[in-house]
Amino acid sequence: MSRNLLYVVLILSLMSTSCMKWDYGDDMEDFDASGAGLFITNEGNFQYGNATLSYYDPSTNTVQNEVFFRANGMKLGDTAQSMCVYGDKGWIVVNNSHVIFAIDLNTFKEVGRIENLPSPRYIHFVNDEKAYVTQIWDNRIFVVNPKTYSITGQIEVPGMTMESGSTEQMVQYGKYVFCNCWSYQNRIIKIDTEIDRVVGELTVGIQPTSLVIDKYDRMWTVTDGGYEGSPYGYEAPALFCIDAATFKIEKQFKFRLNDTPSEIQLNGTRDTLYWINRDIWRMDVTAERIPVRPFLEYRDTKYYGLTVNPANSEVYVADAIDYQQQGIIYRYTPQGQMIDEFYVGITPGAFCWK
Amino acid sequence: MKESSRASSILHHASSIVHRPSSIVHRASSIIHRALCIVHCALILCIVHHASCIKIQAQRLHRLPNVTVTAKRPMKDIGVQKTTFDSLALKENIALSMADVLTFNSSVFVKNYGRATLSTVAFRGTSPSHTQVTWNGMRINNPMLGMTDFSTIPSYFIDQASLMHGTSSVNETGGGLGGLVRLGTLPDVADGFNAQYVQGIGSFKTFDEFARFTYGNDHWQLSTRAVYSASPNDYKYVNHDKKINIYDDDHNIIGQYHPTERNRSGSFKDLHILQEIYYNTLKGDRFGINAWYINSNRELPMLTTDYGDERGFENRQREQTFRGLLSWDHTRSTWRTGLKGGYIHSWVAYDYRREVSEGNWAAMTRSRSKVNTIYGQAEGEYTPNKKWYFTANISAHQHFVRSEDKNIILQEGDKAIVGYDKGRIELSGSASAKWQPVDRLGLSLVLREDMFGNEWAPVIPAFFIDGVVSRTGNVVLKASISRNYRFPSLNDLYFLPGGNPDLKNEHGFTYDVGVSFSTGKAGVFSIGGSATWFDSHIEDWIIWLPTPKGFFSPRNVKKVHAYGIEAKADLGIQLPQGWFFDLNGSYSWTPSINEGDKLSPADQSVGKQLPYVPGHSASLTGRLSWRTWSLLYKWCYYSERFTMSSNDYTLTGHLPTYFMNNVSIENLLSFRPADISLKLAVNNLFNEDYLSVLARPMPGINFEFFIGITPKFCKKEKSSDGINY
Repeated sequence: MSRNLLYVVLILSLMSTSCMKWDYGDDMEDFDASGAGLFITNEGNFQYGNATLSYYDPSTNTVQNEVFFRANGMKLGDTAQSMCVYGDKGWIVVNNSHVIFAIDLNTFKEVGRIENLPSPRYIHFVNDEKAYVTQIWDNRIFVVNPKTYSITGQIEVPGMTMESGSTEQMVQYGKYVFCNCWSYQNRIIKIDTEIDRVVGELTVGIQPTSLVIDKYDRMWTVTDGGYEGSPYGYEAPALFCIDAATFKIEKQFKFRLNDTPSEIQLNGTRDTLYWINRDIWRMDVTAERIPVRPFLEYRDTKYYGLTVNPANSEVYVADAIDYQQQGIIYRYTPQGQMIDEFYVGITPGAFCWK
Repeated sequence: MKESSRASSILHHASSIVHRPSSIVHRASSIIHRALCIVHCALILCIVHHASCIKIQAQRLHRLPNVTVTAKRPMKDIGVQKTTFDSLALKENIALSMADVLTFNSSVFVKNYGRATLSTVAFRGTSPSHTQVTWNGMRINNPMLGMTDFSTIPSYFIDQASLMHGTSSVNETGGGLGGLVRLGTLPDVADGFNAQYVQGIGSFKTFDEFARFTYGNDHWQLSTRAVYSASPNDYKYVNHDKKINIYDDDHNIIGQYHPTERNRSGSFKDLHILQEIYYNTLKGDRFGINAWYINSNRELPMLTTDYGDERGFENRQREQTFRGLLSWDHTRSTWRTGLKGGYIHSWVAYDYRREVSEGNWAAMTRSRSKVNTIYGQAEGEYTPNKKWYFTANISAHQHFVRSEDKNIILQEGDKAIVGYDKGRIELSGSASAKWQPVDRLGLSLVLREDMFGNEWAPVIPAFFIDGVVSRTGNVVLKASISRNYRFPSLNDLYFLPGGNPDLKNEHGFTYDVGVSFSTGKAGVFSIGGSATWFDSHIEDWIIWLPTPKGFFSPRNVKKVHAYGIEAKADLGIQLPQGWFFDLNGSYSWTPSINEGDKLSPADQSVGKQLPYVPGHSASLTGRLSWRTWSLLYKWCYYSERFTMSSNDYTLTGHLPTYFMNNVSIENLLSFRPADISLKLAVNNLFNEDYLSVLARPMPGINFEFFIGITPKFCKKEKSSDGINY
């Protein structure tokens, strides 16, 4: 009997020594990132909650990864979609965590959050007490108060159901905010910020992916044309130039059917367009034709994100590699010479200049 | 994300298997649930009524396996690397799924997304879609996804289960680049009418109920089983991934803490019914009918990083699946033939809904998929003499799939559905010759040919050899080698958006070499073990990657070299004074290395272990029994798992070594009207605070108490396996 008990005790002892050891990263670091810098939102993998925030200092060529986690002792969340700076805060939209975090731009510490957003994509500030948050799979744009971090209202977008809803990037011209509608959509909508209602829409091509406004108050969007077999349609992508005042298409540049243009960006003086279409392309906003040769050639990978330093027009390109490892950022001079490269987090998708 | 959300439909299909019954089905399940309760109450009343009965000590049957040192081995299994699960493991308790059984009784990797949530199985460093699964011979992998969710297979519905590792799967089916999980039911039931009812009541308001009614005589065997499991599944855990803010009056954060949360949106209700009818002519023919109905209604739990309000949305998956099988076996002294015909219908619905205003819910995603599969198989075996054994087999699975993933409004204002409607015939045929020129040596050659759609794979050859090198200890050497192919799943080819009809087959080359032994002394002890080296190369590995258009699309990109060692051991000791002890262990070392080309000059994944594939895994099960008492201890281990293909150690991307300990204690009581079993199971014994997959919380220590009642109908007892459940 005693020998049997000994067996039991031995086995239990063996088992009890094998406990899991987790590092939850509870320690919080103090950062002091004064001066200009670049935030990179790394989407992570959908439903794995491993989105991260990186910070790059162009003056010292140094990058700090996972800064939100390290500064706050908690994860950023699932699928960090975009970030923007308003006032002295950075606003990070974390799509599948249904939250927008506000952080201190120098310490990266959280200063507030807007929770329970259905599927947020981008935030645009109308003033200190009003911002719009676009959504995917939702036909509403949410109105939030950044001061109180609360949802104060919503704007229903006509012609959309919840299931087919998609509103994306926003730009402002006077009292109007314009927004491109992307997934299974083909239009730009116009919102009157005084009444928080959609007051106009303009049909462009299938699935406009991004939206900017140049120094001449003309908006630029590029469509992706849908995909083969889509019941919504499949067409050659196109770059559209839209006059913000008249809300009419001024120019249209067609790509080839199997091209995949995306991520339209402007430089700091808002007179030069950049976009990804396998290679990186650059074009003066007054040009009448798309350039024949790219600004940066394809590097055996798929470019995923793009930004231009507003201070000096240096170009930063994100390469997500296989979307399961740290992506890499390439930094180029305005003339196209690479001057730095650095690894960030998984799937670097968006940038934000401080 | 460009549109990572869109991939969710794929993931949700994958993570499927939750259900909310339609009203009819819900009613049906409620009625069954009520009926089970009535039976339960009636039985308890019956027992109370017979309280004066003399208590008879039920003697648990503990038998050491017969250790026969012989060179004569089943010719069917020449050179085969197989892990067989005994009925003690399969019938441990009614709350277990096959995922739980495999976790604690084998060294295959079970990726578990949570309690009653998607659980996939992968062998030898491959992916879940490289694991083929058969039920009574019929392949039950989801043709849309290629993989199987083992959390939806109750272990009490399985009478025999085995793993065919690597090459060995070619004996049964193609496409098992990792291996095959073979599941089946048995016609053996006790004579006369018998019934069994088990109820489990556990933590998190979990209720499990099982009932089985059987009738058997010389010709007929009838069996009806039902399992119903339900729970809000709202276990508490400390959420280390987020913090709750404490604000002052000016909305400044003055404090933060990790909240203790409940598993949100995690409820489940699963109903399974299995009807079997067998007729044996006693002249060499047996006919069988198996019908398995599943109604599953599961919520998909929120991630640890979710800041949404669970009351404002619904994230739910429902499934109704029917699997039916007709079989005929004709056995003669030297040959056997068999015919099977089957049908599978599976309806899976995924709904993600938001409450847009008080009581007004709108669908953000409403996807539906229907799969109808017609199956047929013919097989034959011929044993002309004791040295030769021939087999031939041909099977056909015709799938019809309709996948509706999204409802959209077209540019012209009409409505349309994004999805696909496709069919595919899948033929597989094999012939084998097995030869045992002398008692100590066996050789086997298998040739298999697969055709999916209108594409033929090259002939799959597999060669097996084994030999007894020592009669002392029954030491057997085994080796096998084969090629294998796996066709893309229907989602890989046709899913909108992203399906890639130009995908090539994944193909692999694998070999293994192993040694096994078994020895013992009758009535005293038995000991056995095996160790196998395996080595496989898989090319054109399919993975889904985002595209510049924002959706995911599969591509043939990786070349993987998976190799390592699998080891198993078992020990049984008959101790004095009625004590019995047995121990089963398994261990795998499975480097699974990406040897493909770099996807970009900066790619750091080449030469690294695949994400979520543990380098080491092990399990150990110890059972100590005395008379009617039994103590079971289960332990499982996975080494650290990388969540990034570059194997980086980051704060957000690394899962540390995983250990899990479960224990249960059981007693059997025998009364005149019925046998009663009482069992207490404790899961996560050391109350580990952990995640199995990133952002998926797991429960801490939890308990479930089971009571089993097996009424006696004054019948002679002929238990099929000698086990009291």
